[in-house]
This record gives sequence, C-alpha cells and structure tokens, in this order.
Amino acid sequence: MLKTSAPNPDEALSKSDEFAQGQGYALPEYPFVAPPELSTGQRHRYPVVIVGGGITGLTLACSLARLGVQAVLLDEDNTVGFKGASSQGICYTQKSLEIFDKLGIYPAIAKKGIQWNVGRTFAGDEEVYSFDLRQQSSLNLSAQPPFINIQQFYIESYLVERIHALGQVDLRWKSRVSAFEQNTDFATLTVETPAGSYQLEADHVIDASGAHTPFHQWVGATQQSQPGDDRWCIADVRFSAPLPAERHTWIEAPFNENRAVWQHLMADNVWRLDYQLAPNADPDAMSSPTHVRARLQRQFGDDVAFEIVWVGPYASRSQCLDQLRVGRVFFMGDTAKVVSPFGARGGNTGVADADNLAWKLAAVLRGRASPALLDSYNEERLEAAQQNVRVTHRTTRFLRPANDVERSFRNAAISLARQHLFARALVNTGRMAVANTYTQSHICDATGGQSVPNAAFCWADGSQGTVNDLLLWAEGDLLVLVFGQLSAGAVQRLKQLALHAPVRSVQVLGQGERPQAREHVRDLNARGIGHLQGACHVFGHAWALVRPDAYLAATGEAVDSDLIAAVEKTLGLH
Amino acid sequence: MKTTLNFQDADAFYESLLDAHSGLSREESELLNARLILIMANQLGDSAQLQACIAAARQMAPPSARSAPLPREAQPVE
Repeated sequence: MLKTSAPNPDEALSKSDEFAQGQGYALPEYPFVAPPELSTGQRHRYPVVIVGGGITGLTLACSLARLGVQAVLLDEDNTVGFKGASSQGICYTQKSLEIFDKLGIYPAIAKKGIQWNVGRTFAGDEEVYSFDLRQQSSLNLSAQPPFINIQQFYIESYLVERIHALGQVDLRWKSRVSAFEQNTDFATLTVETPAGSYQLEADHVIDASGAHTPFHQWVGATQQSQPGDDRWCIADVRFSAPLPAERHTWIEAPFNENRAVWQHLMADNVWRLDYQLAPNADPDAMSSPTHVRARLQRQFGDDVAFEIVWVGPYASRSQCLDQLRVGRVFFMGDTAKVVSPFGARGGNTGVADADNLAWKLAAVLRGRASPALLDSYNEERLEAAQQNVRVTHRTTRFLRPANDVERSFRNAAISLARQHLFARALVNTGRMAVANTYTQSHICDATGGQSVPNAAFCWADGSQGTVNDLLLWAEGDLLVLVFGQLSAGAVQRLKQLALHAPVRSVQVLGQGERPQAREHVRDLNARGIGHLQGACHVFGHAWALVRPDAYLAATGEAVDSDLIAAVEKTLGLH
Repeated sequence: MKTTLNFQDADAFYESLLDAHSGLSREESELLNARLILIMANQLGDSAQLQACIAAARQMAPPSARSAPLPREAQPVE
C-alpha cells in the first residue's frame, strides 16, 4: 500500500491534531495575495484555469509554465499536503521521475528521496518470494531509477518553487471555487477568498481538486464506483535504528492477526506502515495512539524506540468517471478516478494525466494543433484510469478474499509460491504502476502508444544527452528520430517537414555511420551501449515520431507520406 | 478448448483424483482442488483456452438435456 489519501480531508486533519506527541512535518505556507479582480472589480478571461494545487494540479501548472502557457491555479489551502502534517503518496515511478526531470525538479527529488530495488513478500513467518528491480532490463533504459520514495508534499513544494521561478502561472492560495457554469464560449468560476469573492472566466478548466470535487455535480459527470470494505490504518513512523531499505509486504502478518501489513521507506528516516484492519473494524478507533503503539510493539518488540509522525485511517474504494472531459472541463488525478492504493497507481497516474494534457493545451493555444487534439486526452487517460482501476481491484481481491472459496484459492497460491516459481505470479500484493500504453487513441498510430524511456545518447560534440534533452530542445513540438543512413530525398523531405509543421527532426547514428542531417546524435551512452533505438521500440532503419510527453505517436521505415500523415494525425488534424 | 476425448487413461486419472482426496477434511480438499487447478492452469498457459475452460465449467447443462443420450463417440467404452 503505497499511496494514501484519507477518505475525508477533515478526518485527516483531526487525526494529525490528535497525534500531538508526533513531530509531524513542518509544511511550507504560501501567502494569499489579493488578485487584481478584487481591487478592480473587473472580470478577466484566462486561457487555462487549474483548480487544485496537489501533485496533479501543480505538475500541470509547472508543465504549462515550462511550455510558456499562462494559467491561473486556484487552491483552497495555503500549503502543500493536508494541512498540519501528512504524507499521502510516497512512491514515484520511473515515468513520473522522467516527467519531474523535464520540469527541472528531479535533482531535488533524487537528493531528498530514497531509492530502493528489493521487495520481499511474506506469509506468516516465511518469505514467499523477493524481487530485485535491478534485474528488470526494461527499467534499465532510462536515466531515472525504477522508483524513488519520498513524501508527496516534498514534490509539491519543489513544484511550487519551480513554478515561481518560471513565471507564467499565477498561484492563488486560499481561493476556493464555490460556483461554476459553462456555455459554448467560456466557463465562469466564482472564487471565495479571505478578502472577498470574485468571478473569473476561462476557456479551459482543469479540475485537479481531488476525490471530493464539486465539479462532478456542477457539470453532471457520471461515474462507475465500487465501495470497498477493506480498511487500513496508516502510520508514518521514525525509528532510532533504521529498518532495511526494502519494501516488505506481509500477506498474513502474525503480528497483525494474520492480516496484511506494508512496510516501506521514505525520506527523513521515516517508514510507512500500513496495517490491514478487520472488515468490521472502526478505522478511527483502530487508528488511536494506543492501538497504533501496541501494533508497532507487536511488530518490532518492546525495546525498539520509535516516534509516530503521522497516522491516518483509510477505507479503500474505487471509482472512475465515464468521460474525463465535459465541455470545457478536464478531470485529472483523483477527480478522474480513485483507486485502491496498491502499486502506487494514484499519484503517479495524476502526474501522467497532467503531462498528457499539458503539451496538447500548449499546442492548441499556440495555434499549432487542432482543438480536436484535446479530445485525445479523454481517450488516452480514460483507458489508463480504467486499466489502473482494474489492476488495483485484482490486488484488493487477493488481499481481502470475499469468501471461503476466494480464501482457499489464495491459500493455494501462497503455498504453491513457496514451492514453485510459476505460482509467484499469482501472489498479488500490488502491481507497481507503469506508463500505461494507449491502444484506443485517435491520435496514435497502431505502431505507437508506448512510453519512451529517458534513454541516454551522445550529442554531436560527444557530450551526453537524454531523450528529455531532445524534448526540451523541441520546445513542445513533435520530434522525429530517424535511425541510420538517409537518402538525399529523405534529408530534403525532413527539412520541408520542419518548415511546414511543428516538427523537429534528428538523425540518430549507429556505430561508424556518417551524419547527413544538420541535427544528429549518436546512439551510444556512457557505458558504450545504444539504448535510444530500443527505447523507441524500433529496429534497424526506422523513424520514430515522439510526442512532447515522451510517448510514441507512430513508427515507420521510409521517410515518406506515412510520416506526414502520422504528424497530421498526432496534431489532431484528421 | 478440447471437448473430445484427450485423456490417455480417464479412469486412472479419476481414480487418482479421488485417492488424493481420501482422508482429507472438506477444507483440506478445497485447498487440494485449488492447488490442482492452479497447477493445471499453468500447464495450459494459453489465456483463450483458460477462459474457454472456465466458461465451459460454468455452463451447466439444463435438466432436460441431462437425460438425453450422448453422441455415440462420447459414450463410455466398456
């Protein structure tokens, strides 16, 4: 269990107050600045208004700022994380880290966060199996590691700093949206602030305000939901003597009445411990200081010194909107879907939602793509949301068997996993989040839809670069990587394409190949290996059309009309 | 999914299945069955075949069809 959000923010607030003996976290506070609307009384129209300053809304704001798009972000609070003290998400995937690298906050995350590679699964006192992420070759193509664990609010605070540095986005704290309406021309939002209320207009509204958003009702959004009866108590704990830097999961923990327990590390020597509760337990009562201390002592013994940093109850459930766009409103992060927190599929999905919409909004607002491009946000991210709901629901069924038959199959899987390699695949303690592939998108060719890892290569001058450097250089335009030698005609066609479409092309040379295009790199990393071609899922002489969110739009062989058609398709032109 | 006879020795399999369960409690039998299903499923591996097997197992014949004579080739051989 890696990402947590209390069922109700008020509940989390009261919990943190209750834990006065815990140190909690000192969260940064941001000042409320009265917006011009309050002094002039005039309404302004903004191209983009983002509601919610959590990890999703801030990632979008930062991505837009980097692409030079102006936006307003409204957040009802004046800090990051839940007010007072909280941790929420803790585990960030390679794809999220690559996105943060593009935004310029990856070095801070790598410095503060903890890398981990080893995970162990236990049933009773026995280890059922373990894994080492360093042995998964698909995760070794990127400049970023498979995972970094860090408290969510650290990332949020880095994003705020970065947004301030970039300009473009007006972060408005203590600004709660109290009413909304939209017509065919624009949307109107009413905002409550400590200095009074005002209205503003928007061409595009992005709702990233979390699972309890009022926007679903305001726009009549419909959704599928499954209430869960799986209840957990989450404790963030600092130990005097550190635990191993590994992910440990117990399917049946002897020290938790044979229910599941998660043990995972974060920054500041804090460990996240998740205790599965009895289905009929009252999560609030079971999260009381007395209960939590007793549980920790049962797990670690009486003589281990620890300090409780934060505790919260959690009730799992899942819901998913039927459409992620309603008129001018786009839903992302927890407003799009809520998943059970297994495999870090909540926060990481929100970050990917933001990365998906940012370049599309920028391309449309800069007049470089058709407004129809924005509809692909729903196609691509709804597919991802539904996939994540499906995957996490399977984990929930394994961890909380609904009846005797389900328990019997789980016992069978666990007992077989101890004896046979094949059965480990059946033991489901959470499938770690991945960059979801798009198979239903009208802007992706059948050859595209996969994420391109942030692979390293050599620039023409011999220095090292990565895919993200190429994307930054392309400044929000599409990127064509052409592998191998080019015909004279192909060189001309690529030049023409760059003149007439928002596309930059780069020739990627293999060993011993001569450059023919002005922009060229060599597929060779610092260890003397070429990873770029594999990262682009092509082989031999080929081109790969890469989007600003590091997803493949299409691949092909000859530089011909297929490439032109793929470019048009990727910009939503047909 | 195969619906024609594929067993090398159907009677021997059936006998060893019953033998494996003899002396077990209901709970132990349930666990044995579950283990057996998972082991056999891994032998098949193919997703479409596994789905077809699950669907076929769920498809109970209606009561009237139960007494109908089986096609000739499916009749037990003495």
